[in-house]
Amino acid sequence: MAKSGDISMFTCPYCSTQRENFEALREHILADHKGSLLPEPANRIRLLINGLEHAMNVEPEWTLYHLIHDRLGMTGSKQFCDRGACGSCTVIMDGLPVLSCMVLAIECDGRTIETVEGVARAGHPLIESYVKHHAMQCGYCTPGFVVTSKALLDRNPDPTEGEIREALSGNLCRCGTYPQHIVAVREAARTLLKEKEDSGGER
Amino acid sequence: MVDNFSDEQKKGMEEMQDNLTADRHPLPRYKHIGGRGGRRLDGQPKASGQAEYTMDVILPGMLHLRFLDSPYPHAAVRSMDTSKAERLDGVRYVLRYDNPEMPEKASTGKFHGLYGDQPPLPGIAHFEGEPVGVAIAAETEAIAEEALTLVEVEWEERSFNLDPVKAREKDAPLSYPEMYPAGNFWNNGLFNELVLGDAKKGFHESERVMEFAFSRRGHTWIGPERPCGVFRWNGESPEVWVKQQRPHLVKKNLATWYGGIPMNSIQLHCLYQGASFGGWVQVPWNMGPLYCAGFVAKKTGRPVKYALTRREDFYGQSMDDGRYSLKVGFNRDGRINAVKGSSTMTNQLWPMFNIMGHFKENTSIPHLHGVTESVWVNKGPAVPTRCEMLPTSLCITMVFNRVAAECGLDPIEVALRNDGIEGHGTDHLAEERRNRGFSDVDSMKECVERGKKAFGWDAKWHAPGTRKLPNGRMHGVGFTWTHEWDDSLGTSEMAIRIERNDGTATILAMGCDNGVDAENTYCRIAADELGFRLEDVRYNPQIDPGFFRMSPDSSTNASVNGWAVRHAARIVKAQILQAAVSPTARTQRGSYRPAFPDCTPDDLDIEDSVIYRKSDPSQRMSLGDFVREAGQSGPISSSESAGYRWAFSEPLFAFGYQVQLGSYNPENPRPHFTRQAHFLEVEVDTETGGIFLTSVVNVNDVGKAMNPMSCEGQQYGGSIMGLSRGLFEEMIYDQATGVMLNGNLLDYKIATIKDVSCPIGTILVETGQGYGPYGSVGIGEDIGTVMTGILGPAVYNAIGVWIDDHPITPDKVLKALGKT
Repeated sequence: MAKSGDISMFTCPYCSTQRENFEALREHILADHKGSLLPEPANRIRLLINGLEHAMNVEPEWTLYHLIHDRLGMTGSKQFCDRGACGSCTVIMDGLPVLSCMVLAIECDGRTIETVEGVARAGHPLIESYVKHHAMQCGYCTPGFVVTSKALLDRNPDPTEGEIREALSGNLCRCGTYPQHIVAVREAARTLLKEKEDSGGER
Repeated sequence: MVDNFSDEQKKGMEEMQDNLTADRHPLPRYKHIGGRGGRRLDGQPKASGQAEYTMDVILPGMLHLRFLDSPYPHAAVRSMDTSKAERLDGVRYVLRYDNPEMPEKASTGKFHGLYGDQPPLPGIAHFEGEPVGVAIAAETEAIAEEALTLVEVEWEERSFNLDPVKAREKDAPLSYPEMYPAGNFWNNGLFNELVLGDAKKGFHESERVMEFAFSRRGHTWIGPERPCGVFRWNGESPEVWVKQQRPHLVKKNLATWYGGIPMNSIQLHCLYQGASFGGWVQVPWNMGPLYCAGFVAKKTGRPVKYALTRREDFYGQSMDDGRYSLKVGFNRDGRINAVKGSSTMTNQLWPMFNIMGHFKENTSIPHLHGVTESVWVNKGPAVPTRCEMLPTSLCITMVFNRVAAECGLDPIEVALRNDGIEGHGTDHLAEERRNRGFSDVDSMKECVERGKKAFGWDAKWHAPGTRKLPNGRMHGVGFTWTHEWDDSLGTSEMAIRIERNDGTATILAMGCDNGVDAENTYCRIAADELGFRLEDVRYNPQIDPGFFRMSPDSSTNASVNGWAVRHAARIVKAQILQAAVSPTARTQRGSYRPAFPDCTPDDLDIEDSVIYRKSDPSQRMSLGDFVREAGQSGPISSSESAGYRWAFSEPLFAFGYQVQLGSYNPENPRPHFTRQAHFLEVEVDTETGGIFLTSVVNVNDVGKAMNPMSCEGQQYGGSIMGLSRGLFEEMIYDQATGVMLNGNLLDYKIATIKDVSCPIGTILVETGQGYGPYGSVGIGEDIGTVMTGILGPAVYNAIGVWIDDHPITPDKVLKALGKT
């Protein structure tokens, strides 16, 4: 073990003890700390987004929306209100719809996230039923509705009109497309139920 | 090749531009126009999150620009210390209002001069929240925002006005002394007076005269995507992404900035638009920040994105904020003889539409006198927000329902009794229809009858305050009506190119996508005119090919653009048929036999994207086979002697355009024939004041529904927006400080899917009496406007008391019932 005051490059980042050379330091870390050579920074998070592993260093003030939209470029999530009032930034986190503008990214370590891009890539029938029934006008809020609806259908495959309204009541649409969301979600639900029936219960 | 058009074709093309009469050259049959099939071109991108908006644009090295907002409703920057902000890590440029390189004024609006030329970054704020004094560009939005908190400003606070009536008083402080030093009322021509007949005489001749007043609180548009833009300099040429309803306006203004830029050096991107409903589209508070972004981009050599905050976007308001006073002379049978109205509005940053406007255009009332005046107060600008006809629509709803109530008549009966035009009755309207070649159908009667039946009006209407439901609530119904907006003035240029290899058609013209599925409408027109399959026509309005369409503009979209794309399609079709009978593959050594030898263009037609001989449809060729490939892989690879047919059509491309004088051009007066009628059913809880919507029916005479699903979307969408305004929407200011108290979407309520959960019936009437192509007329703007006031008569019918302060909220219901 080297004396204190030796060059700092051989200082253990875990326990601050020092070694004479890099090899000694490496052996010490692997043996005593059972970890990779360098410790992960405190702002390191891992996320499973749309089935893909993401490991990122995030700033403490970043919201999940900022991370997804601005840093990862998944721009389907939209910011309409800026304070958890509109639902346009909704993503599914561990099965539940959350407002990504109201969640700090740094608190999401280990979470599973599904965005509208993931819903679309999976070929979810909501996409086609939204197109078919014009459940959109300017389209800015549409991804938020799609994601919220997807979360609804995941937990309730055959929702009533009232249940759809309840689920979507946190999503604002200024163009007034609300009636078509009911139609589109009902049709997507029927499609999924039929697919399940045709496949003997699997989808 | 254009010279080969027949005289009949040329005549037809010229006559198509006459929008004073019925369409003289409609198609004999429609395949895609009016159809419900076909996918929205924007559908999959929008539903899947792939649609890109300006807010989504992220460029390498991009800086973020944020603005200081005035904490006072009226204040000047006396001095400013930005040194701390400049020292903050990540700050790259601090743009101050007193930067000597910034112009005193720049062209930043629709109009040059009074409305349009404003300081891009003012040093004086005229409303609380106005971006003023300094803009800071930083590596992130968060840094820019933090830097703004470090700016130290010494403000010169000034007296302010919020109330338009008080602001009119002689000793009121000046709200905008720089623009209006003579007073808050005199607005350089914004005072608007309309006179028809002699109102005094009309009152004298009436059996009854009634006076009433009401007020409407200002509300805002809430475009989901905030005003934003991205500016990058490529050498001396700007590349600009804009959230703008009128991209051509940006380009026009931009060409005058920074010492002048040639139009052909400006590269514009107008991506999908998160809606603006008119809103900020033509006022300095939108384009001023874009000017600043370009200035900073030039100084830093980096792309700059500006985005107003949600709160900054809240300050723009609708044009109906104000007080209304009305005097009506009428007979007991519901015949209205005279209406005199005056309204005192705030901050009208647009030529005002007189509150008696629709009475003149829409009724047989012989005597009208309307005065609409604007007073400057220290609130944000009022601009058309679906739309400038809010005040007149509100007045027509109130007057007709008040008269019906006074006479104890069904309001529909009163509406029918007074339908007409410019003081004349329906006979005159019928004569005008005949003179202009339109069908002889009474649009109003058609709308009312179909709406009444669908709504069940006869069973539901009752005397005010007389029907209590088993659930304890009071039942009420409301009715309103007016004409369809028709088109306004403007120009549209659109072109069509036939693509190589597969012969598909591309429509070329820039315009904003505001969600009405307009692109699909133009594809439908082009497909039917060309004889193409719908899927073989495509339109991406986001690129700038040098043609600009109305988008929408001056309240107009399809009724002008439809002509332009139709012209282009008809010319391209003539080109195709002429090319099909002409020698193909013209080369230096001669030309080769036509695709359809021994034919004239008249012998041929196109259907499902296939050219065929009418007398023998087995002689046919797809457009793809006809136009063939380009370049080395094209037809110049074999000799005709080897048995290959040489085929290479000349480029097939044409533009169409329309210069439309429009209904509101004083040189082009013409009657509005098409009508709309709307029905609302409510329940009112007299214990809580709660209002519950139970049924809506919208009836619109669209003339010809070119894209029915789009029309219906505007009906239920407009209804929801209008009812949301009627139920909830108002911007609330603290009277002591002038600060807006609800500038966010938690405190400013708009309707959710649960607030408007009743069935909304949508009925499209097609009388062909619009001035657009095929007799169409646009409806995108008007339903949201007309439906804003219908809650008034519906609640009155329920509780038997008028509420004269809109929006109609539960506290006002209880107050009207004497319960508070």
